[in-house]
Amino acid sequence: MSELLAPALPALPTRARMRRTAPAVVSAVAMIIMIAVCASLQPDVLTVAGLSLVLSATVPLVIAAQAQMTLMSVGDIDLGIGNFVGLVTVVSATTLVSSPATGALILLALVAAYAVLGALIHLRRVPSLIATLGASFVWLGLGLFALPTPGGTTPEWLASFGTWQPAGFPAPLLPILAVAAVVYLLTSRSTLGVRMRGLGSNPVALERAGLRPLASRVIAYATAGALGVLSGLVLASQTGGGDVSSASSYSLMTVAAVILGGGSFHGGSAVPWGVAVGGVTLGLVSVVLSLLDVPTNMQSAVQGVIVLAVLAGRVVVGKVLR
Amino acid sequence: MHVHNLPAEPFAAPRGADRGSSDRQPVVVARHVTKTYGRTRALTGVDLEVRAGEVLGLVGHNGAGKSTLMRVLAGLEACDEGTVTVGGRETSGEAGPRAAEFRGVRMAYQETSLCPDLTVAENIWVSSRHCLPRLRWRRAAGDAVRRRLGEMFPGHGVTSGDRIEDLSLAQRQMVEIARASLVDRLDLLILDEPTESLGPDAARSLYDYVRRLTAGGVAVLLISHRIREILSVADRVAVLRDGAVIADRPAAGLGEHDVLALMGAQVADRAGSGPAAAAAGEPADRPVMAELRGATGSGLHDVSVRVGAGEVVGLAGLAGQGQQEVLERLWRPARRDTKVHGSRAYVPGDRQRSGVLPLWTVAENLIVTAMRGIARHGLRRPAEERAAVGSWVERLSIRGGPDAAMTELSGGNQQKVIVARAFASAADLVLLDDPFRGVDVHTKTDLYRLIRHEAAQGRSVVWYSSENAEMAHCDRVYVFRAGRVVAELAGEEISEEQIIAVSFAESDGEPGGPPAESGGEPGGPSAESHDTRNRPSAEPDGARNRPDGARNRSDGAQSHE
Repeated sequence: MSELLAPALPALPTRARMRRTAPAVVSAVAMIIMIAVCASLQPDVLTVAGLSLVLSATVPLVIAAQAQMTLMSVGDIDLGIGNFVGLVTVVSATTLVSSPATGALILLALVAAYAVLGALIHLRRVPSLIATLGASFVWLGLGLFALPTPGGTTPEWLASFGTWQPAGFPAPLLPILAVAAVVYLLTSRSTLGVRMRGLGSNPVALERAGLRPLASRVIAYATAGALGVLSGLVLASQTGGGDVSSASSYSLMTVAAVILGGGSFHGGSAVPWGVAVGGVTLGLVSVVLSLLDVPTNMQSAVQGVIVLAVLAGRVVVGKVLR
Repeated sequence: MHVHNLPAEPFAAPRGADRGSSDRQPVVVARHVTKTYGRTRALTGVDLEVRAGEVLGLVGHNGAGKSTLMRVLAGLEACDEGTVTVGGRETSGEAGPRAAEFRGVRMAYQETSLCPDLTVAENIWVSSRHCLPRLRWRRAAGDAVRRRLGEMFPGHGVTSGDRIEDLSLAQRQMVEIARASLVDRLDLLILDEPTESLGPDAARSLYDYVRRLTAGGVAVLLISHRIREILSVADRVAVLRDGAVIADRPAAGLGEHDVLALMGAQVADRAGSGPAAAAAGEPADRPVMAELRGATGSGLHDVSVRVGAGEVVGLAGLAGQGQQEVLERLWRPARRDTKVHGSRAYVPGDRQRSGVLPLWTVAENLIVTAMRGIARHGLRRPAEERAAVGSWVERLSIRGGPDAAMTELSGGNQQKVIVARAFASAADLVLLDDPFRGVDVHTKTDLYRLIRHEAAQGRSVVWYSSENAEMAHCDRVYVFRAGRVVAELAGEEISEEQIIAVSFAESDGEPGGPPAESGGEPGGPSAESHDTRNRPSAEPDGARNRPDGARNRSDGAQSHE
């Protein structure tokens, strides 16, 4: 896993940088512990096939978490991302199979809808929490309208991506790392990223410098929409069908993943590599719990306790490094 | 159009070739400029000319319209009537941050306009992106800011990859000033209270750089509460009062008192409201309200302070020498060496962080401490509360009245509310933690009078101030150095000169002398000031690198002339 962390680790670990990367490091430690627990229960986990199996469930969550991180970097929170991902699986299981061109257009329109949502939030000064919560019901309604009961099939190319098994490395690592790299380039290295983080950090400064906060917010929402579509496609490739409520837990799980990865509610910071670690950590929890034979009824509660424990670890490390 | 060319530009191509003569080119001209917000007329007709190659000092108390005028001159807001001409071209009616005419006018804000989560280089991109290449902008911005910071503040200790939130207050201010100065063609640089958080060395090198800038033909508009600083740096001083420029004089030959008088201050006459008026003669006879006896630890060394009933006790000296620790002990008398009789109220210095409840109204902010005393059986009594609030609002003439939102008030009026909150309670001992920083002269005079009046009623006040002149309103003053009381002054002994003398007595043995000139080390990096501020250090550096060192330095310099 060291290659996952490498870009997050600074060249010169100053105290301030250590403090910022600490949450991701804590999450990474938790992740390694969980993989170790899995391996001790089921030695096959450490093979390429085993790791693929364990990690594959986390890929859509990690991508959705990157979408959440993009919005949190401008200081907003998206409570609709779960149903949005679900709606994308519905589209890919229905229209994308019957008429691919229309399906692709619908997916593009969904990205545009996110951009419009961002513009509305900015212009009407609605709290993003409320607006995205409202939008989540719209996504749910559209999904139920198109596909009332889970089902459908996925396009062949998507299904073959889902079952792709390269030799030598676990396939799910590829999308996780590729998406993190793209988001890193966009939010941390490019001038667009500076605009987005500047908006989350100090909108007044942005305005004084003559940059339009509206443009920054719309770009962030469009990015989040695109990542949400990607997450939905990956989820559909794994489940082999569409279900609008298949990802409804993502809305809050992604927020937890961002926090685990070192993001904050205040906006201004982008932590794509940390989010990748945080998302995988969060996704692994349910795998570990299944392997430990924790009753399904108890899993959610135990999952919550583990997340709280990791967050507590983050707080403690942050205090020590202050 | 390349930042690489920037730093040398003002010196390499001096535009003000005809400088020295009185007919310098005007860079920005404001004619009959008015601006109204709602019911308040912020600017009532300003005429101002900033000429190339000069430093224009702008003074005025809070609410005089300084910040509005700055926003208009920097092109952030359009004026209602009148015209603003930049470089000979009249600006279009709808100015905005994107107005092209104002590209050469740059402003360094007092509270900085940096994004705390971004790095220094990224912040430079935000404000100077027009002059940066599209590719490798990060490196170009980093190089430019590094070079400019090196010219302005040698030994600044900032690297371009640092995030702003990790920098000290002084370093942030340095980056803000460098940020404002980085543009391909600088015509006018507006500096709003630039030295408020800078150490004396940094302030001096900033003004050295300002002189080099003006020598290259750039105009500089300097705004500061520190009138002596303005007088020593500026070529011309403009006085703003009630939204108009009421005086525009050459700085040479102008004294501090002249400027204060122009600003409309009834210059706080020490003889009238000072300690002499209050019976300061027999402090020993008063009953003791609070006492510190040989307090040691957490920044204090064997500090003994006694506060009598009805006494105003000042804590003076350079900032960060243990005064706030004394207030802290009196506020929470946990240790055995601290004795406090009666109830206490505390007025914090940082009103934004620890004083104001921004969502509440003036009335609620004012009464929150006294509420419990007024209430009966745990139930509030609105009528009595309103009466109390009304009398305080009237007494301190707080603008906006009791129902105004707290954030609608100007800084000075907010401060009045915070002070009134403490005095409206039934507290016997009121602790003031440098509450009047950045407050205009009018408000200060009102509050000084309030303090004296309340003391005459038998209340005790412990007052820490970084402004030595304020100490003249105290009965007794303890001067602190490195966590020790180095002097106790009473009555007639209290004077600014005396306080400065004892504050510096140990450090250079030359009372009143400018300490910055005593040690011959020029490169004392003021960037380190942040680390040393709360640590009482025996060596003079710890003291000098504080903002107030800057004040005292200029004070000292003044007394030398």
